[in-house]
Amino acid sequence: MAGYEEIQQEAQRRYQELEAGDRPWIRVGTAVHGEAAGAMDVMEAFRSQLESRGIAANVSGVGDLGLSFAEPLVDIKKPGGPRIFYRNISPGQVSELIDSCVAGDDPRPDLALGTLGPETVAGIPRLEDHPMWARQVRVAMRNCGHIDPLDIYQYIANGGYSALAKAVSQMEPQDVIQEVQTSGLRGRGGAAFPTGTKWSFIARSPGPVKYILCNCEEGDPGAYNDKGILESDPHSLIEGVTLAGYATGSSNGIVFIRHGHHGPIERTERAIEQAYELGLLGENILGSSFSFDVEVSLTGESYVAGEETALMESIEGKRAMPRYRPPFPAQAGVWQLPSNINNIKTLSYVPEIIAKGGEWFAGIGTESSKGTAILCLSGNIAMPGMVEVPMGITLREVIDEVAGGVPGGRRTKFLQTGGPLGGVISADQIDIPLDFDAMQRAGAILGSGGIIVADDRACAVNMTRLLIAFCQYESCGKCFPCRLGMTNLLEILERITTFKTRPSDMELMRTVGQNMASASLCGHGQLGWNPVQSALQYFPEDFAAHIEEGRCPTGQCKGPVFTPQRTRPRWTSAQPLEIRI
Amino acid sequence: MVAELSLVIDGQEVRTQPGKTVIQAAMDAGLYIPYLCYYPGMKPYGACRMCVVEIENTRGTPASCTTPAADGMVVWSNTPQIQELRKGITELVISEHPHGCLTCHRIELCGPQDVCLRHVSVTDRCVACPKNERCELKDTTIYVGTGLNTPLDYKYRTLPVESKDPFYDMDYNLCIVCGRCVRACEEIRVDSAITFTERAGVSLVGPAHGSSLLESGCEFCGSCIDVCPVGALVETDYKWEKAVERVSTTCPHCPVGCQLKLEVNKRGKVIRAIPDLEAEANHGQACFKGKFGYDFVNSRARLRTPLIRRNGVLEEASWEEAVALVAERLGQYKGDQFAAVASYRGTNEENYLLQKFTRVVMGTNNVDHSSNTKPEIARPLEQTLGFQAATNPIWDLENAKSILVVGANATEEHNVAAVPVKRAVRNGAKLIVIDPREVELTRYATMWMRPEPGTDVALIGGMLRVIVDEVMEDEGFLRESCDGLDALKNSLWRFDLKRVQDVTGISEDEIREAARTFAQNGPGAILYALDTVSASSRVDLVQALSNLALMTGNIGKPSAGLYPLRPGTNDQGSWDVGCVPDQLPGYLGLEESANISEAWGAELPSGPGLGINDVFQAASDGRVKAMLVVGDSPNFANGHIGDALQAAGQLDFLVVQDTFLSEIAQAADVVLPSATYAEKEGTLTNLERRVQPLRKVLEVNNTQAMPDWWTISQIARAMDAQGFDYHCTAQILNEISRVVPMYAGISYQRLLAGASVLQPAGFPPSPLPSQLYPTEGGQNLGIQWPCDSSDDPGVSILYSEGSADRRHTLVPMELNDVPAMTTPEFPLLFLPGRVLQQPQRGIEIEVVNDKNRIQRDEIMDIHPTDAASLGIGEGDWVEATSAREQIRARARISESATPRTVSVTTLFGELATRLEESDDPDPMSKVPTLDMTPVRVAKVQG
Repeated sequence: MAGYEEIQQEAQRRYQELEAGDRPWIRVGTAVHGEAAGAMDVMEAFRSQLESRGIAANVSGVGDLGLSFAEPLVDIKKPGGPRIFYRNISPGQVSELIDSCVAGDDPRPDLALGTLGPETVAGIPRLEDHPMWARQVRVAMRNCGHIDPLDIYQYIANGGYSALAKAVSQMEPQDVIQEVQTSGLRGRGGAAFPTGTKWSFIARSPGPVKYILCNCEEGDPGAYNDKGILESDPHSLIEGVTLAGYATGSSNGIVFIRHGHHGPIERTERAIEQAYELGLLGENILGSSFSFDVEVSLTGESYVAGEETALMESIEGKRAMPRYRPPFPAQAGVWQLPSNINNIKTLSYVPEIIAKGGEWFAGIGTESSKGTAILCLSGNIAMPGMVEVPMGITLREVIDEVAGGVPGGRRTKFLQTGGPLGGVISADQIDIPLDFDAMQRAGAILGSGGIIVADDRACAVNMTRLLIAFCQYESCGKCFPCRLGMTNLLEILERITTFKTRPSDMELMRTVGQNMASASLCGHGQLGWNPVQSALQYFPEDFAAHIEEGRCPTGQCKGPVFTPQRTRPRWTSAQPLEIRI
Repeated sequence: MVAELSLVIDGQEVRTQPGKTVIQAAMDAGLYIPYLCYYPGMKPYGACRMCVVEIENTRGTPASCTTPAADGMVVWSNTPQIQELRKGITELVISEHPHGCLTCHRIELCGPQDVCLRHVSVTDRCVACPKNERCELKDTTIYVGTGLNTPLDYKYRTLPVESKDPFYDMDYNLCIVCGRCVRACEEIRVDSAITFTERAGVSLVGPAHGSSLLESGCEFCGSCIDVCPVGALVETDYKWEKAVERVSTTCPHCPVGCQLKLEVNKRGKVIRAIPDLEAEANHGQACFKGKFGYDFVNSRARLRTPLIRRNGVLEEASWEEAVALVAERLGQYKGDQFAAVASYRGTNEENYLLQKFTRVVMGTNNVDHSSNTKPEIARPLEQTLGFQAATNPIWDLENAKSILVVGANATEEHNVAAVPVKRAVRNGAKLIVIDPREVELTRYATMWMRPEPGTDVALIGGMLRVIVDEVMEDEGFLRESCDGLDALKNSLWRFDLKRVQDVTGISEDEIREAARTFAQNGPGAILYALDTVSASSRVDLVQALSNLALMTGNIGKPSAGLYPLRPGTNDQGSWDVGCVPDQLPGYLGLEESANISEAWGAELPSGPGLGINDVFQAASDGRVKAMLVVGDSPNFANGHIGDALQAAGQLDFLVVQDTFLSEIAQAADVVLPSATYAEKEGTLTNLERRVQPLRKVLEVNNTQAMPDWWTISQIARAMDAQGFDYHCTAQILNEISRVVPMYAGISYQRLLAGASVLQPAGFPPSPLPSQLYPTEGGQNLGIQWPCDSSDDPGVSILYSEGSADRRHTLVPMELNDVPAMTTPEFPLLFLPGRVLQQPQRGIEIEVVNDKNRIQRDEIMDIHPTDAASLGIGEGDWVEATSAREQIRARARISESATPRTVSVTTLFGELATRLEESDDPDPMSKVPTLDMTPVRVAKVQG
């Protein structure tokens, strides 16, 4: 088996051919946003037209640069020139681009978004100056949109697996944990628990078989950064999970991905195969005594499967219903063996932390929230997409600068953050910094990093109803307060949005919600009251208008609401009952 | 000794063991914390959140069922906040559960059995719930004091009641999704026939993918019904009946001896059987037989009076007439021309009395019990180990690390004994099944070996050979406690593995693997029933298995041992009390009669009598002229004993004591009506030597039936015999305890003196699961013999102490020729099998008379060589013909079939359907056994 140095040399040789060879390199973003916008057809058009014209060029599908508003995003790097990004390219524009940019010498500033690289092109701004790019500090997303996720050498050529090589050859496992503790990295899945501390729990559990679980269930509406990383740079995760395995003395890693997301699933599986081929996974990694295996496991279609214990049930092939704790996963997790569960984003930071040092990472961000936040911006904004910004910039900066603000001259009304259980933050709170604790104080959570922006046309009550409808639909049905409480909360909210409120409804909603919060088995029920509570806190006037005046200030609530019947009891009492006596 | 820990619950100090949860600690201390999804004996689940408590220095309100008790913990289970939380949860629950029973304004006025037809909508009425007045949810809701003016909207699910599957009614409108049934099925029974369906608000319970119980592999054990806190799952029979009385007694159907709480309604009918959660024999479990097979007690077809044959016709008569006639006629047939047959479910007292009557009054040893068709099943154990009985208790199996099952269909014939086997497998134990038939346990087996029929001894010998060759025997134990090691080792040289392979058809590698698996995963237990063994090799096989247990050191320790699975309910007790033709009570030889002769005050006959296997032959050739048969036709009609019914017709005089006019009773000269198990007292000894009482659950009503012990003593007294003046069974048991040394310390006072430990005391009375409802007269205790004195607790594991003074014996083995089980006329052996599920084969369910039935083609597996010689092709219709019956099926030609055998595997669900639809008043006792039968097979037209 080749040592890391040899692998690195091979990777550099291959990458230099692409990067500094004599052929143009055309990269098409083929992650889910690009694919949805037609990137596969664009890439195919490039390949077939280049071939038919006999033009020698390299065409790669790369991951998600994060600029979703510009998809399909194509970049062309000609020998000696910068990467020039072209936005919203349709297959019909491909021949035009080949004519002018690849075969000819016209860089087409009219189609271009920006350039990346030391060289500049007249008439095209630098991407570094683009508002969505300028504030970004890309750590976990360092390779996203730049390299082909199906080619491990491109990852290695960009410094990939050097952290792993360093760890297994120069560091003791506890040094790795120490480095992560120094970095101040906190879990990016929602609970923001210090990662190093979490690792130290399982490191103490007895082996030989211990699991590192990587959670990419990611069912939050408006969150796609876990899937984005897996689609764009799966090796970053593989390296991170392997480092976690080394640090904690674990033997197996399981990447848990929601069923149906073929992009992340296929790319992760391919990445694992490649890592095995190069001896970066499996027995005696890079010639050390450390052995580690990684596999992919899929959920059914269940939001709650992302809850850590439900995830373990799901891996075991059971119905995804949460377990009670204690015992905690570090003692008895999947298959009742010690397990550690981390979010994809969390683990993707680890290679850079080990390569560059915990101090470096701790230098980014705020006192209590180190590093960067990977945000998924959507809703009523000019530039939706996935960005990585340093912790500590304000939500206002994120919305108004990075996301390009609310278009159409409207104003921001509220942000829905951290998934449906996260709740809403009103526009007058958005000067708070992006920080786990500051956001929690404001009644919301950073959570998984999804931020949905609503402008003044949105009704807070209707938004709350939609969030609760999601939570109700996704309740696993195990514990009574969540199964029954969600149904009742939703019914009350439906009454409010259809102006059929009863006098006791507000009180009733509070009672049910608080009972859910204090009695539910897992976070789904415990946090289920959050969206309602935060909406009540910031927009009491919206509720009052519905309840007292029978009107919706925004006009969003009109007519009957859609009610998913598949998870709700049918509401009748008049039908005859079949009883055999 | 485990360290105790101490915590304070509601100001009371509670001591408990590490590993217990807070709710368990509270319940053990008699404190009640409300719960709905928790169930005593099951793992915590944490769904209902009713048992939330406050724990000082702990955040929030954790559920006490999932929180481990810790030393120094201070728990408050009833603070105002907790009370409010509980009320909130019950409000949510009853928002989806019909609760007219709680909110109807007539509640205070309503008597327990009143029927109300007003005031509440039809679906919510208390009388529309089959569990009205025994509903745990209702009791709990009242207990927590939920306000009934909840502002939540009540929703009725409008689901049809599902009643198409046998025995069960499922009304999911009443379900609260506590998951107890799913967990009982999966965790306790290891069947997983039901699961959760859908999710969120419509999450419910049912067979996976909306199929029926028949398709899902249901064992119809009723476990889910027993744990259901509401009326969602109930028994179809007597669904709406209310119990006025509840009595603990012992199940009469098989030798597991499950403790059941029988419920009786105000009209004196047995309406339900609920297994006792605290019973040692069954741990709250039962099976389809015990759970649903009680209705024969209530049958209108029962014999009402004694019958006497006059002019060829059986006519009603009085007891005086009948007893006088029997006494007079039997007086003419004293000596060996008389024979007596006891019931397979006769009590110890009755069978003791019958053998005493036969020996003392009739002067012959011709006495046996009807299920004793394989007397060799435990007999060799006396020589090899010491006692003719199982060495360990049934639930010990749960912790075994390896289990060997030889020729036994435990799931059907000793159902509850299969439960700990399956649980052990789930916990990682290795299960080796040696059986040519496919039975349910083969599905759980680590290894399933199908030796050529009749070669089991050779296979065990091969395993022993491997154990000796690879030095896997328990040397210390053998040196300490066993004789005959050298002789056995010498005899094993004949068991060359190549030869064993040729004889058994099992490859050398498999034999090695089996031997290693059993020898290296201790403790290991062996279960066997000799179902698939010919008469001539039974003794050899039992000795071989005894050798295997001894060689691996699996005698005298927990979770190991040998379990002969006897066929009849009270076979063990019948042997103990000498109801066999060649042994006296207490396993004394006929020549050792001095003490007994003295105790009985009578001379005893010498020379062995006729056993059940010979007595009907003797009747047909005239050696036996008169017979007294107690009970039960199943063993006469199933072919085990030859043509018993025909032979009975040859007798000069036949007396039958039976509950029904069975086939043999129809041939009798005098028929005397017997009381059923629910109407009499006595004791039964189960397969783990546990002596357990029958209680009088109800009086005999509408018939003149009498317990068999009374009838026998009446006959004896009418024949002027001394020593038969019994007023009650306690007198007989006292006499047994005097003559049977193992029973010396057993008395009714001890067996009946049980009180529940799981019922929390306290006032007001706390809600209870129906399995924990108190019974009249308390619970039954069982005592495992040998029990030497009135303060001896009995012996759970035989030979565990003082084994130094009881040495065991290893018996040399022979590699004999295999006896032919087939004949030229019937050259193939038919192997019936039965399993819960056949996932690889689709089945269809058709609905007939509103009941589900399994509809599918039977498939007969045939080995390619047999198929070729018979000209049978894949998928052809074939017919297997035995001396008694014919079976049609489609041929499946398969290499995995054993040559010269054909096999058919039916689904257990078909049996369940047949049992439910049977016209037989007592169908459960006649569950068809899976007998291997010689057949000839021919291709037929579809």
